Amino acid sequence: MSSGSLSRPGRFETWRLATVYVVVVLAFTGLIFRLINLQVTENALWTRQAVDNYTFEVSVPAPRGIIYDRNGSILARNLASYNIVITPAGLPDDVSDIQRIYRELSELIDVPVGGRVDDEALLENAKLFSPCVPGPGITQLVALQDTLAPYSPVKIKCNVSEDVARVVEENSVDWPGVTVEIEPIRDYPTGSLTSNVVGFLGPIPAALEDEYRARGFIPNRDKIGYSGVEASLDDVLAGRNGGRVVQIDVAGQELRNLEPPRPAVPGNNVYLTIDSRLQGVAEASLIQEINFWNTYFGTVRISSGVVIAMNPKTGEILAMVSYPSYENNRFARLIPAYYYEQLSQDPRKPLLNNAISAEFPPGSVFKLSTATGSINEGVVDLDDIIQAPGQLLLCERFNPSDVCTENNTRPFVDHIFEQRPEGFGAVNFLQCIAFSSNVCFYKLGGGFEDEIVQGLGIERLEQYARALGYDEASGIQLLGEQDGLIPDPDWKRINTGENWSTGDTYIASVGQGYVLATPLQVLMSGATIANNGKLMQPTIVRDVTDGEGTSIEMWFNPQDFTLATEQTAGSYQISPFTSNLKWDITVTPKIQSYSCNDSFCDLDEDDLKIVQSSSIDAVREGTRLAVTAPLFGTLNDLFGDFPIAVAGKTGTAEYCDDVARNAQRCQFGAWPTHSWTLAYAPYDDPEIIVVAFAYNGGEGASVAGPIVERVIKAYFELKSIDIAAQENPSAGQ
Amino acid sequence: MNRELSWRNFDFLLLGAIVLASSLGTAMIRSAIAGNEVLQPLVARQVYFALLGVAVIFVVASVDYRYWLALYRPIYFGIMIFLISLSSLGQTAFGAQRWFQVGVLFLQPTEFAKIVAILVLARYFEQARHQPRDLRWAFKAFLWAFGLIFWILLQPNLSNVVVLMVIFMAMLWINGLDLKQVFWLAIGGVLLILIAFPFLETYQQARVLTFIFPDPNATYGATYNVQQALIAIGSGGIFGQGYGYGTQTQLRFLKVRHTDFIFSAVSEEFGMIGGIIIILTLAFIVWRCIRAAQKARDVSGSMIAFGVAILIFFQGAINIGVNLNVVPVSGLPLPFISYGGSGLTALMLGIGLVESVVMRHKQMEF
Repeated sequence: MSSGSLSRPGRFETWRLATVYVVVVLAFTGLIFRLINLQVTENALWTRQAVDNYTFEVSVPAPRGIIYDRNGSILARNLASYNIVITPAGLPDDVSDIQRIYRELSELIDVPVGGRVDDEALLENAKLFSPCVPGPGITQLVALQDTLAPYSPVKIKCNVSEDVARVVEENSVDWPGVTVEIEPIRDYPTGSLTSNVVGFLGPIPAALEDEYRARGFIPNRDKIGYSGVEASLDDVLAGRNGGRVVQIDVAGQELRNLEPPRPAVPGNNVYLTIDSRLQGVAEASLIQEINFWNTYFGTVRISSGVVIAMNPKTGEILAMVSYPSYENNRFARLIPAYYYEQLSQDPRKPLLNNAISAEFPPGSVFKLSTATGSINEGVVDLDDIIQAPGQLLLCERFNPSDVCTENNTRPFVDHIFEQRPEGFGAVNFLQCIAFSSNVCFYKLGGGFEDEIVQGLGIERLEQYARALGYDEASGIQLLGEQDGLIPDPDWKRINTGENWSTGDTYIASVGQGYVLATPLQVLMSGATIANNGKLMQPTIVRDVTDGEGTSIEMWFNPQDFTLATEQTAGSYQISPFTSNLKWDITVTPKIQSYSCNDSFCDLDEDDLKIVQSSSIDAVREGTRLAVTAPLFGTLNDLFGDFPIAVAGKTGTAEYCDDVARNAQRCQFGAWPTHSWTLAYAPYDDPEIIVVAFAYNGGEGASVAGPIVERVIKAYFELKSIDIAAQENPSAGQ
Repeated sequence: MNRELSWRNFDFLLLGAIVLASSLGTAMIRSAIAGNEVLQPLVARQVYFALLGVAVIFVVASVDYRYWLALYRPIYFGIMIFLISLSSLGQTAFGAQRWFQVGVLFLQPTEFAKIVAILVLARYFEQARHQPRDLRWAFKAFLWAFGLIFWILLQPNLSNVVVLMVIFMAMLWINGLDLKQVFWLAIGGVLLILIAFPFLETYQQARVLTFIFPDPNATYGATYNVQQALIAIGSGGIFGQGYGYGTQTQLRFLKVRHTDFIFSAVSEEFGMIGGIIIILTLAFIVWRCIRAAQKARDVSGSMIAFGVAILIFFQGAINIGVNLNVVPVSGLPLPFISYGGSGLTALMLGIGLVESVVMRHKQMEF
């Protein structure tokens, strides 16, 4: 047969067949070129994506360091918390087996089994819940996880009791796929007693996620310190997360380690200088005193208070109580919104450590600065007699040329005026301190007619206040420290738009007016006097140790709040413990010289000068006389019979803040007062200094004084207990 | 008139290529489904089908293809009944009805329908070989093809409709369709596509659209399978990662890796070498089929061999093109390599017909 157009040898027209071949060859060649392009040219790109696909980095959490007090009592630790979890891929194949497990588990942990697995509404609803929040049934939780990551466990119930966890473990054979996950939870055995010092943990804030991720932290799992030592020593406590680079399949199942695993480096332990026993006494004394007065007045009069105890020779803070505080154990799992709201809206500011983060007028405890300055600058001599009537009529001058008239003259009263209008009478310098005579200090600070021709003046007072630790942050290892305020004419000009007046100098001399200080600064001023001019760096950290108990060398830089394992400029050593001298005002020249004329002083260009030891001795003597002077000694009632020689200074600081103003309590001449007492012992060689502060407490000696007395007493009792235990270790057991 | 069977003319090279391809395929299926217990029996099943297929080749080759052409009516209407019954009896799998369950086996009549279409068209072109190559001639051919295409369109199985249309058009072309008619048909085809597009299933529209206009904001899911295929191929390199060591395949990042994306699995584990071997093997098979078509003693034999060649070429090129992301995603398997009993058996049937044609070609030496 022949078919015209089709001729031999081929059956097809050659050109038509050729086009078919061309198409075939072009198609296959194109595919081969594309293949070569992918596999040879772009090989590196695709290989990287393939590696990305199967590479997964598992972060192994590092256990956080433990915080101890100075005696090794635990202040913060990690407890195991048990979560019941289900790994969907681990469940049996048989549906009825799965349902039996769900049923039995539901009975034990009281989580509903949940409806049908194909009920879309229930599934959608379950998607709205965060892990650990009760609501969805087991079926829904597992079904969701099965579609997301079947080889990763899903939390069914969090924080179950140890008993429940044990039952689940025992049933592990019958309940494949159900396991107990152990999650470390921060626990604070001393709770609210130390919460202002120890602080609490919280989630990594979204704004800092990248920074922390770069350092190996896992947001939503790892927590960071939010306040207290937990925050300031976070770098030391946190440790370093370990990691495993593993190969996973598409379902997320881990198959093998791709690299040798990096073990987690546990956080270091921190020993604080706090003695939790003394802390307990301090808190109890403060609360007892506050409750006593509030009951006495039948109203909540004293709302908050502070007690700090320190060793003035080393700067170790033995107790630091800020009342009211908060229960940091309630923040262990998560920060409950209602509790946090309650705390942050409380006008007493329980979340703030008032010992360092709140500024108050120091009142008469500030007279230590005025006294030191007056005696050192020769404003007064030890044997000078000063007349201290009940009140002083002084005129308020804003310029040297202002003339004293009746209009600008007003009375400045002494605190004893109500009881003794004639005042203390003729007193010497030591009695001025011991009796805390305002009139005397007005004269010393601002000068008075012919008696004190040239007062100390605000410029020089500022120098001495700063030398005692006022007007700047102490540099303690706690966040949120305030630096207080010692005003001067420039400050007043800038901030109030008024000239400095002579009256400002008078009231600044007694720690009133614009003067503000944190309780810690008040304590430091007393410690400088007690320690003969040496101001030790206050510290809350005694030691940093690794897991084996070996001390690690550690320096702390208060300027930028960083920790380093070697000394850097501006940092001081915090571990192993060494007492750090901040400065010795009898050695380090801290005082700028001023030439004063009338009530106005000019800065001398001369060098800085020191404070004479004799000046400090005189102020010390004055503080001792406050205890020993029978009639008017401010601390005589409290410590007159105390077996150990105590010295100190009280303060009753008038204030008018927003709270008082809103309560209409700022009446002229009858402002509410904060209560201060500062005392140290033994007088000859002080080893304990305590400051107590009661907000709206009233008279210093009668409210803050008893708190200080109890703490000092407890300190020496604890000391004798410790000595006895050391000499006969078995006796205490 | 039936001459003695001349096994000397049996194309053993073609058979060799088929055996090579299906061996490669079976080996690759084994690697691809390693670790998946449910899919384990597939390897053995594919081996059985491959062996059955080789037997089918010999049986079909030994029978003169003209016997099948004589029986075209029962075959044509029989397969049509199967296709029709799919719409009500076939199960709905992956949204489309393409399966017909017989015992444990899922039969895909569509795969056999393609061979039947080739047979029926071959018979038509034989009969109409003296007619002028005008639109009437082409339209009659189309009616024969449409008898099957219509039911496949109803499933809906667009990919196989396209395969059949391509085979049909290639046959028109090789049978000498006028260039003028080619032009009109091309215009008609474009119009048909534009009109038909709104009637496509949503997922088919989306596939075409995501291919033509990749959405930069597309979710990962929309392009996941193709993306994973590219990663598998690209990371294979020149020599591949080794049999059983391709991470994309073994760790199951690559989806449908024993069927639609088996070429990616081969390219990952055997690299560029493996990929090119697959392409060249397919090219070789296509060439041997066209060679058989060239040698055929009559138009029908020639059309059978040519149709099978186009079937293998088009399906292979499209499947590899999908894997290489140069063609929109379609469900066409890779001939002889992908898992699928019906597909493999149907193709072996086709090869058997080609062998039958080549064994009975007009002897040159008498």
